[in-house]
Amino acid sequence: MTGPILSYCAVRKLFGQFVALDGVSFEIARGEVVCLIGPSGSGKSTLLRCTNGLETIDGGEIRFDGVPLPSNDAGARQIRQRMGMVFQNFELFPHNRVIYNVAIGPRIVLRMKDGLAVRRAEALLDKVGLSEKAGSYPANLSGGQQQRVAIARALAMEPELMLFDEPTSALDPETIGEVLNVMKRLADEGMTMLVVTHEMTFARRVANRVIVFERGTIVEDGPPTQIFETPRVERTRDFLSHLGWVG
Amino acid sequence: MDLDFTPLIESRQYLLEGLELTIVLSLATVAASLALGGAVGLARCYGPSSLRWFLVLYIDSMRAVPVLVVLVWTYFAFPILSGISLPPFWAALVALTLHIAAYVAEIVRAGITSVRPGQLRAALAIGMSRREAVVEIILPQAIIRMLPAFGSILSITIKDTAIAAVIAVPEYMKQSETVAGQSFHPIEVFSVAAIVYFLILFPVTRLVDMLYARVAHLGRS
Amino acid sequence: MNFDWTVIWRNAPSLAEGTLLTVVLTTLTMAIAIPGGIVLALMRLSPIRAVSAASAGFVEFFRNLPLILVVYWAYYVMPVAFDVQFSAFTTGLAALALNVSAYNSETFRAGIQSIRKGQVEAALALGMSRAQAVREVVLPQAVPRVLPVLASTWVSLFKDTSLVSVIAVGELAYTAMRIRSQTFRVLEMLTAMAAIYWALGYPQAKLADWLHRKFRVME
Repeated sequence: MTGPILSYCAVRKLFGQFVALDGVSFEIARGEVVCLIGPSGSGKSTLLRCTNGLETIDGGEIRFDGVPLPSNDAGARQIRQRMGMVFQNFELFPHNRVIYNVAIGPRIVLRMKDGLAVRRAEALLDKVGLSEKAGSYPANLSGGQQQRVAIARALAMEPELMLFDEPTSALDPETIGEVLNVMKRLADEGMTMLVVTHEMTFARRVANRVIVFERGTIVEDGPPTQIFETPRVERTRDFLSHLGWVG
Repeated sequence: MDLDFTPLIESRQYLLEGLELTIVLSLATVAASLALGGAVGLARCYGPSSLRWFLVLYIDSMRAVPVLVVLVWTYFAFPILSGISLPPFWAALVALTLHIAAYVAEIVRAGITSVRPGQLRAALAIGMSRREAVVEIILPQAIIRMLPAFGSILSITIKDTAIAAVIAVPEYMKQSETVAGQSFHPIEVFSVAAIVYFLILFPVTRLVDMLYARVAHLGRS
Repeated sequence: MNFDWTVIWRNAPSLAEGTLLTVVLTTLTMAIAIPGGIVLALMRLSPIRAVSAASAGFVEFFRNLPLILVVYWAYYVMPVAFDVQFSAFTTGLAALALNVSAYNSETFRAGIQSIRKGQVEAALALGMSRAQAVREVVLPQAVPRVLPVLASTWVSLFKDTSLVSVIAVGELAYTAMRIRSQTFRVLEMLTAMAAIYWALGYPQAKLADWLHRKFRVME
């Protein structure tokens, strides 16, 4: 398979009068780990949500595996099965035990037999280090544990691409590390990842590429060494120094 | 359908007197219910346990029996049993108070039990007597939480006074019924009655909604 | 002062019929008012201003009127408005159903809104259809929140059916009071009426309490 897995071409998104995305264009190759950084409201999360169809775009085009995102429901659902998404607030289903949270995608969407789905879920829970929590309810897990389960839930669908929407922003500092470790392992295994994050250390160490957003447009796009050490654009420097980033 | 509102205009004094009685009965009931219900609620929480089963029986019975039934029984049956005959207004006041005080008691109990147990422990630890702790620490917090529910008691009471019409209390509903029957223009009379009740109740429920919104964050400890 | 408590036993069949009608009235009203409440709640949550406002207006209207007035008003207005003669039962049912639908709509609205938007998004992100998301994620969370409140509404409704006695619907209150007028056994019949309501209402209230405890939602 050749060609970029995702390509954005002059993508525009409006919320009423507010221009959330103003002509965003870039491509992601298979296996790349791309981090989107930038101030709040700069459009990063919006772009992510347009990618898997939770939001519709008002201009331009998004292509997944060379094919424009379908506008019809059934087509959109097909695409979403091939993309996994991890949310800032984890969004585990509180009425299901952890094991069933992870198994629900294969069971309901892929119509997998219960036994098979559960076995797949058990393997994934083991992978994120939470086998012993399989029978617990989400409410009894820490934030970091819930987010790891959420990652396992998304991986259960065996997606080709993983979208992370500020995965550690709602976590206590002590638990951020365990989630980032899981994400790093995923990256090492070759998963294509698009990560909206404020965790600059993660971006610096794990990302192949960092894209800086501001006010709905791309300010700079390059490898972490460029962005963090020798940014080419003034605004990138401003943003990073504003964050207190010391290279 | 041609509407004729003149009977309403001709009987306006009669209807206004009914409205006045509705308001008087409502306020009197609310006052009496708060007193009785407050006492019952407090007794349930802090009173002797030998009394509690009786209070619980009273409260749950009022949840099971309709207002109409309590009104009718108080006005027609009670005099036979006790020899005391109550005029319609007083029968209604007694019946409505009994019924609504049960709700108030539940509100009081819910309000008190919603205050964290740690508050009482802390108060006792400082050296307050149990009574002082309840009065100074528990009740003020509990009352703030109860306020919105008390507001809805007023709304419920005003609506329930209309049922007193069935025991011929000359409040607004009864007067409207009479005018409707005599004038043969029930649609106009009851439509106006609906508007009047709405105009009275709407501000009350709005106020209660606002209270709920205001108090939601205050009450959280 | 002599009492004849056998009058209750002698009129047991009529009282049973009246009680049955009370139960039927309650059940039918809920059967209409649950879908009715859902429709009104969905209307209220609609992004279309006119639809949302219409639903809100309807609910406000019925929250702020005494039910007994609605019963009388329906009794006189319905025949004129629809040019059809309705039975008292139908009129009473209509008044009750309109009233309870309004209350139910608030219950359903609160239940639906208590489910975070993110929950539905997480379900969709896995590839579920909207219907699957509602079935697997929304309903299992909404039902436990809504059910106890519906139970309380049922208990109130059961009592409120007594109000349609004023338009001569033959439910329990009307039947008991009719027998009282016919036999002049005031204390006996009114006490019997109270006792029957108590006997039926008490367990229902306890059941509603149990549901509240069972489905106590952690905030």
